[in-house]
Amino acid sequence: MKQLTELATPFASVAEQTTLVEQQPDWLSALRKKALNQFASAGLPAKKVEDWKYTSLWGLAQESFNHSSDEVTLSPADIAKFTLLDDVYRVVIIDGQFKVEYSSVTGVEDGLFIKPLSAANEKLESKLGEQIDLAKPGFNALNTLMMTDGAVIEVANGAKIQKPIEILSIFSDSAAHLAAHLRNVVTLGEGAEATIIEHYVSMSEVVTLTNVVTEVSLAENAELHHYKLQQESEKAFHIATLAATQAASSQWHTYNVSLGAALARNDIHSRLLGEQAHVTMDGLYIVNGEQHIDNHTRIDHAVPNTTSSELYKGVLDDNSHAVFNGKVVVHKDAQKTDANQKNQNLLLSRGCEIDTKPEMEIYADDVKCGHGSTVGQIDEDQLFFFRARGLDEKTARNLLTYAFAAEVLETMPSTHIKNAFTAVIEQRLPRGGE
Amino acid sequence: MLEIKNLHANVDGKEILRGINLTVNAGEVHAIMGPNGAGKSTLSNVLAGRDGYEITQGEVIYKDEDLLDLEPEERAQRGVFLAFQYPVEIPGVSNIYLLKAALNAVRKYQGLDEVDAMDFLSLVRSKMELVKMDEAFLHRSVNEGFSGGEKKRNEILQMALLEPSLAILDETDSGLDIDALRIVSEGVNALRSADRSIVMITHYQRLLDYIVPDFVHVLSEGRIVKSGDKELAKELEKTGYSWVNEAV
Repeated sequence: MKQLTELATPFASVAEQTTLVEQQPDWLSALRKKALNQFASAGLPAKKVEDWKYTSLWGLAQESFNHSSDEVTLSPADIAKFTLLDDVYRVVIIDGQFKVEYSSVTGVEDGLFIKPLSAANEKLESKLGEQIDLAKPGFNALNTLMMTDGAVIEVANGAKIQKPIEILSIFSDSAAHLAAHLRNVVTLGEGAEATIIEHYVSMSEVVTLTNVVTEVSLAENAELHHYKLQQESEKAFHIATLAATQAASSQWHTYNVSLGAALARNDIHSRLLGEQAHVTMDGLYIVNGEQHIDNHTRIDHAVPNTTSSELYKGVLDDNSHAVFNGKVVVHKDAQKTDANQKNQNLLLSRGCEIDTKPEMEIYADDVKCGHGSTVGQIDEDQLFFFRARGLDEKTARNLLTYAFAAEVLETMPSTHIKNAFTAVIEQRLPRGGE
Repeated sequence: MLEIKNLHANVDGKEILRGINLTVNAGEVHAIMGPNGAGKSTLSNVLAGRDGYEITQGEVIYKDEDLLDLEPEERAQRGVFLAFQYPVEIPGVSNIYLLKAALNAVRKYQGLDEVDAMDFLSLVRSKMELVKMDEAFLHRSVNEGFSGGEKKRNEILQMALLEPSLAILDETDSGLDIDALRIVSEGVNALRSADRSIVMITHYQRLLDYIVPDFVHVLSEGRIVKSGDKELAKELEKTGYSWVNEAV
């Protein structure tokens, strides 16, 4: 696959990352070398790569990035501004570095293990890179080469963790042109339960790059509620891979809310490898101005009797551009698969654009699969109804827009988290008038 | 209350209303009957302010104001209420949110503070009894998954809460079985008062057995061709609408 080599320009210096490549232990050094070779030959994906057809990295290629940050000091008040919930275990990552002193990861419930990536190497040899395909061009190779920090979370067999775990990534005021290559590794043992919230914020409107890979492994009967809220600077680039393998009867419920960044791309992938496994992929994107959001999801139903449900909704205004590509693959012999996928978009202006592509590849014959996508505007009958009940047009439009988006919030099972997300969405989409 | 003078209206360039004249005084109940295509729904939509209707002649005076000059929400705030023929479903907006927002919009126009949460709840409960609606409906999305009868009862609930001066009931009886028709009619009858006018638009005489009008008008080809009292409706029931067009 031929790549536009000039796209690698902002990362030209990565070829000189000899310190990282030579870093001990040997297995990590070997992994980074492999990633370096891959990135050096393939670079970043160009639009001619099918998966990147609607998302241009040209803007990213015009920028230059630093890959390590200076030490910054934030006050507890700085951090409190961004925390979503009070009663959580919190991993605080500032400018790409896991800051233990700002985090609350000690004295946790039995069976829970939270450590910085940099301090957990011995546990990772068999896991790091297990969920991703290094051969694909682009960011996963770059991440593998450059990753310096992130959260390693393990939940022991049978442990049911009560408090949510928030991974809060903050770009500080001095983060201009900083790239953070984060790697999170999440492992749930048999019958384990946990809730994770990935949360990405910026303190100021500067150009940054988040390149995060989160690898998830769920053993039999494990259940993970996995929330994500991306509210980075409107000049930011946010590239994320979220990938899981699921054993029998495991459940992975993902809720992916994307509000920020100039360009955001999520690749979310579940492989259902054991019977009765289930994945939920719900998402909400709200973009305006010149924002670009691209959600690529993929679900592999690899064995019989697995289920998936997917609802992605988007609200687009101004000249924003959204891409949704949802792929469901039902493998040969994966009989009794039940897969349902929906993508719905609300367009509020003439200048916005949506490219939506639901894809189903079905190689089994006894399955129940459905998918559909819609693109629409505010419904005139609904609008008139509200106006005929005395609500002014702007209030009525806001209310209908909010109601459209709120369907995704309604699917969130935790009331606390739903309320926290709702408060954030209400700021973006006021329910009332001005 | 309402005075319609020589009202002409087009839809897509086609003249549907061709000179309507109608005076409705406070406290009166008027029924407007007519065959399909007579212009009944156009009249109710024009009065409520829906887009897509071009007024070519005439005027509508409501409480000394030019009604046609007002936005739909301004009409609603001034006490004009349209009970929809086909109430729209609104996923994601709860009934209670709608009721509160609508009531507060009227109160704001009247210079009143927003309704207190506790007062509001007891007010809504009392109105729900009127249309025999269970409180569970408050927390469901507006009309979503409601049966035809539940949707119409929900319209009357909104009317009861907003206490309009002029209520326009557009084919409120359509799609109702006898039990639902009785409940809806009882709700409307309870709202009859000396300072409230009601205009019922209907194809069938049936509704008028339950809500007895003071006046009955026959609409045909965009004009009122005959007016009378409730006996006129009975006559129509016997003879059908076929004579109407011949009489013109």
